[in-house]
Amino acid sequence: MSSIPKSQQVMPTPRRQESVIIGNQSYLSVLLRLISVELYKIRRRLMSKILSIVAIAVMVVFFGIISIGSIFVLASPEATFLPPPCTANLPAGTLCLDHSPTQAELDQARQRALTAVSSPLRPPDSVGTALQVGSIIGLILLIILAGTIVGGEYSVGTVRLMFTRGPTRTQFFLSKVGAILICAVLGMLVLVLIGILAGVLLNLFTGIGIDFSFFSGAWFLHTVLKLLIVMLELFVYGMLALCLSTLGRATAAGVAGALVWWGLETILGGFLFLIGNYFTGAFGNVIKAIPDYFISNSIGALLQNQDHYITATSQASTISDLQALATLVVYLAVFIGIAWWVNQKRDVTN
Amino acid sequence: MDELSPQYDGTPIISTSRLTKAFGKLVAVNDLELQVMRGDVFGFLGPNGSGKTTTIRMLLGLIRPTAGRAVLFGMDNADQLPAILRRIGAIVETPVFYPYLSGLDNLRVVAASSDMASGKANDRRLAEVLDIVELRTYENLTYRKYSLGMKQRLGIAAALLSDPELVMLDEPTNGLDPAGVIEIRRLIKRLSALGKTIFLSSHVLYEVQQVCNRVAILKKGNLLKQGNVTELLAASQQVEVRMNRDDETNYALHLIQQIQEQGANWITGAHIEQNKQGQGVLILDAPVERSAEINALLARQSLFAAEIHPRAGSLEDLYLEVTAQGVQPGNAIGMEALASTVGTPAEMPGSGK
Repeated sequence: MSSIPKSQQVMPTPRRQESVIIGNQSYLSVLLRLISVELYKIRRRLMSKILSIVAIAVMVVFFGIISIGSIFVLASPEATFLPPPCTANLPAGTLCLDHSPTQAELDQARQRALTAVSSPLRPPDSVGTALQVGSIIGLILLIILAGTIVGGEYSVGTVRLMFTRGPTRTQFFLSKVGAILICAVLGMLVLVLIGILAGVLLNLFTGIGIDFSFFSGAWFLHTVLKLLIVMLELFVYGMLALCLSTLGRATAAGVAGALVWWGLETILGGFLFLIGNYFTGAFGNVIKAIPDYFISNSIGALLQNQDHYITATSQASTISDLQALATLVVYLAVFIGIAWWVNQKRDVTN
Repeated sequence: MDELSPQYDGTPIISTSRLTKAFGKLVAVNDLELQVMRGDVFGFLGPNGSGKTTTIRMLLGLIRPTAGRAVLFGMDNADQLPAILRRIGAIVETPVFYPYLSGLDNLRVVAASSDMASGKANDRRLAEVLDIVELRTYENLTYRKYSLGMKQRLGIAAALLSDPELVMLDEPTNGLDPAGVIEIRRLIKRLSALGKTIFLSSHVLYEVQQVCNRVAILKKGNLLKQGNVTELLAASQQVEVRMNRDDETNYALHLIQQIQEQGANWITGAHIEQNKQGQGVLILDAPVERSAEINALLARQSLFAAEIHPRAGSLEDLYLEVTAQGVQPGNAIGMEALASTVGTPAEMPGSGK
């Protein structure tokens, strides 16, 4: 039997000192304040600065590598880009030059080659290039960031400090989720813009102007959707890192776990495809269908379907948008749900 | 502790009922019934592993009790933890902050995480608490460069930030130099004078005796004693009798034991201890006001005491009495073993011993 009476009067709160300014106490205000605290901590970390520099450097270097092709074209003799002269040795149907090339033909040939090689530097191709590079480097860096901001609280011990300040554990948890989402969105946006800008600047060396005839409302919409899909990819893997670092109470658990998962999906996808081909019938089909429910394949399908809308030449994925989105929502629910539940129920000890 | 806080009114600010925490088969805290009154400076004592930190963690909601409940400010911490935490400032074990932020920036983070307004709104308060713990000069130094004592003081600053009613300090003098220890003692007294309730977990009994009005002693998760320091010490008073020769001392002990057997239940214990000069002295667990009676009893047997005086009860004696069962005073092995876990006045920096 409890010796404390069931109904006790709550003691009135005495007035605090005038110098203590209490903020808005609504749930949302507290949450927004905690998100701003998380972003402040991220901004002040040396690691975040290094990760940002690495991401930008990788993007610029990648576009720089592409531009090397243009420099190579400009430096090569013009005749390199012409079809071979027609001789008896050439196989039938091979495109060949049956006369001595004129200077205009030489110039045209070089220009064609230069246009083809430097195409990824200019919109619309550069947008796709920036998205591809950004999705890989951004994903790796966001996983590191997500693992660190969650696992670091446990490994350093600051989780004790935070959990004894007043806001609920759910609010602290949601502030981490919110901060990771903001980093995924802002990080990807900035990275893609830097990529496009780097491409445009490097394209100046080629002397080829940007043709904006591709630009239309539909192109813009589908490109924005592609950007959102890549942000979603980063967020899903970020939540995986958050979940694993919460479970493992360590940065390493989240970072290594999420990166291994990401790598394994590719390996496992190929492996299951091979097994599926080996077994015929329903069993084989089920095995082959499993990778359709992987994160990377769902993201890939969403991107492929957008490409199909943008360029008629691209094929649509066999996975529908609805299936891919549903799969990703389930992953998010599982990762966030497990991490939240553990966060709520866990005893915070050493 | 002579003066009580102006807020002291006997209203329980912390009440626990059969509070229990088990980690598997290990019962860290067992059926704890604790009462801390508003305005108390409450000393929470016990050797390592006695369950002090586990209790603090349960009170702060960091861990969930296996059984029992804790009520703070009239609210059950299982249901109204956020409302409770808003009224508490706490250090749990060694304070930990973000190593890449300065002391000031860490306090900014803590303030914004404590429902205080973010931005520069609380800059005045931040300056105040940094002044209290004398860290203003080092406010822009990165936390990882802080010494242990500075970290401890920053922890106290963080605990005081929102001007809480209840301040829970878990070993606040760990790593502090003598001046720092004295400063913390003064700070606790100052906070108490301001009406704060202080919950102080410590090994350093001398410190606790200096500042606390009430204490609880825990051992292996069980509450051994709880109450007012003055009353507890009064109950453990002793009379020290020094004879001229050791054979007289032995005979006096024999005589007292005989008297006890004959029904003198006001003498609850008697033993011989070595004093600082290496001489055996007779220690009687008996009320000080009966010293004259003791003297008369001995004199009737032609035993004339060279010296007879009350031995001031100390928290250390009380602690040893209730925790070290089987460890006899003067027993070197027992005392050494205890000294490794319990701070003594001799160990206290600046104690003058």
